[in-house]
Amino acid sequence: MGTEEAGEAESFYPSEEEIEKWMDSAFDMAKDALENGEVPVGCLMVYGDEVVGKGRNEVNETKNATRHAEMVALDQLLDWCRSRNLDTRSVCERTALYVTVEPCIMCAAALRLIRLPVVVYGCRNERFGGCGSVLDVSSANLPQTGTTFKCVSGHRADEAVEMLKTFYKQENPNAPKPKTRKD
Amino acid sequence: MEPQTKRWKGSVCDTDSWVAYPVLSDEQSQDVELIEAFAAPIVNKKETSRLVRELNSVYPLNNLQHVKRVRAVKEKGSGHPLEVLVCLVSEAPDMKVVSIDSLLPSDGVRSDGLGEPFVVRVPARPPLTRPQFELASKHWPTSFHEDKQVTVALRGELFSPPQKARMHMYMMSALTAAKAGKELGMEAVGAVMVHPVMERIIAVGHDCRGDHPLHHAVMVCIDLVARSQGGGCYSFDRYPACTFTSDTFQKVPDAEASSQPYICTGYDLYVTREPCVMCAMALVHSRIGRVFYGTASVDGALGTKYKIHTQKDLNHRFEVYKGVLGKQCEDLNNVDDHVKTEHLKKSR
Ligand SMILES: [Zn+2]
Ligand SMILES: [Zn+2]
Repeated sequence: MGTEEAGEAESFYPSEEEIEKWMDSAFDMAKDALENGEVPVGCLMVYGDEVVGKGRNEVNETKNATRHAEMVALDQLLDWCRSRNLDTRSVCERTALYVTVEPCIMCAAALRLIRLPVVVYGCRNERFGGCGSVLDVSSANLPQTGTTFKCVSGHRADEAVEMLKTFYKQENPNAPKPKTRKD
Repeated sequence: MEPQTKRWKGSVCDTDSWVAYPVLSDEQSQDVELIEAFAAPIVNKKETSRLVRELNSVYPLNNLQHVKRVRAVKEKGSGHPLEVLVCLVSEAPDMKVVSIDSLLPSDGVRSDGLGEPFVVRVPARPPLTRPQFELASKHWPTSFHEDKQVTVALRGELFSPPQKARMHMYMMSALTAAKAGKELGMEAVGAVMVHPVMERIIAVGHDCRGDHPLHHAVMVCIDLVARSQGGGCYSFDRYPACTFTSDTFQKVPDAEASSQPYICTGYDLYVTREPCVMCAMALVHSRIGRVFYGTASVDGALGTKYKIHTQKDLNHRFEVYKGVLGKQCEDLNNVDDHVKTEHLKKSR
């Protein structure tokens, strides 16, 4: 897109080592979620060399269907900026999102709105994906919806898919009662 | 109900000033696509049923089930009363001069009673709406399974005067919220969540992106609904115009809603302008019942840039109507820019 910020955003791009390292953390989060009977999606927002947001799906406890891992991580990023008196926009413009599954259409639009430049993800999200699987919000011409972002996809994709499959097998339609947690 | 409506009509609310039109899928709203076919005059009417039977076995026109095989010729003075579709131009054997014999295999159809073929254009797909049906029928007789509700909705007559009076009232609440948000320097957008069966407002929200970039009116409203059901993750208490009604009634329990937070199942949302992609998808995730908006927006995702409510791959679809208090909602956005610059000037 021909925005003046585009040039700046282009220059910001995670290295192979960074991708490897942060995706490992995201996968650890996802595994942890799966072991606790939660949606196995791991998600990190990294600014410089610091994790400024970390999220897991909080839809059930908040009764708010928009509380996806990315939205939760984003709120942490905003708090992080606030507590350090940093300008949110300039932090977002140099932050990368690492997530095990392609962000959904809603989250992809949210990431555009906060002008996040790069998203690294594992597997495709065939049901809701907003980076090309259902709609391509990440690169669409939406002049009033922030900026487009770059996607780096496919990192440990098979593993991410396996975790989702395992999770949905557990979420058996034959067990209609909400799961009670054994703490 | 009735006397109340009359009072509404006479006083505050002029429901005749606006019309709610449905926002239909691309398939329902697009032009009629035509495809070329060969037709031929039936010069001997007595041969009609044999010709149709034999043509059907040679050229079954499987993808054109909606097109009638035979049409009556209305023009006076034509030498023949009927015309029959032979085959699609694309199905016809490759040849320089088309004649009826070259189209028909000698062992399949006896061409007795058929005149020389000519090209016609027939609708390629079944019509989904009455306007499409009327256009299609101008080209060739077409059958139509009418969805009466869509027909009535397209005429802008789906909602009765009492229904319109309630819609008017809900959108007025959204407008009031939008103005309250604007006073605080937010974008002038308001949203109201309604339980249509109870005829009751569940939550009212306005844009709050001054303190959170994603607190668009719809997102605020969704979280307020979650709060009304004992959830939610933000507090909008400092905004007097953002409100919710605590759940004093039980929602009809259904199997899905009991275990999953599809909190907006069966609810109607009234929002002054068309939701953006984020908000539209948030409504899909929340299983919204119906959405009514006043005016379109540049990046709107319920009609303008996308029609997320009709998106085939998504697991939830819903009805969308636009134009509720359209003029007032549009004015809201027009003064918005002016107010924003004023606010910026003041804050500098
Ligand atoms: Zn999402
Ligand atoms: Zn929005």
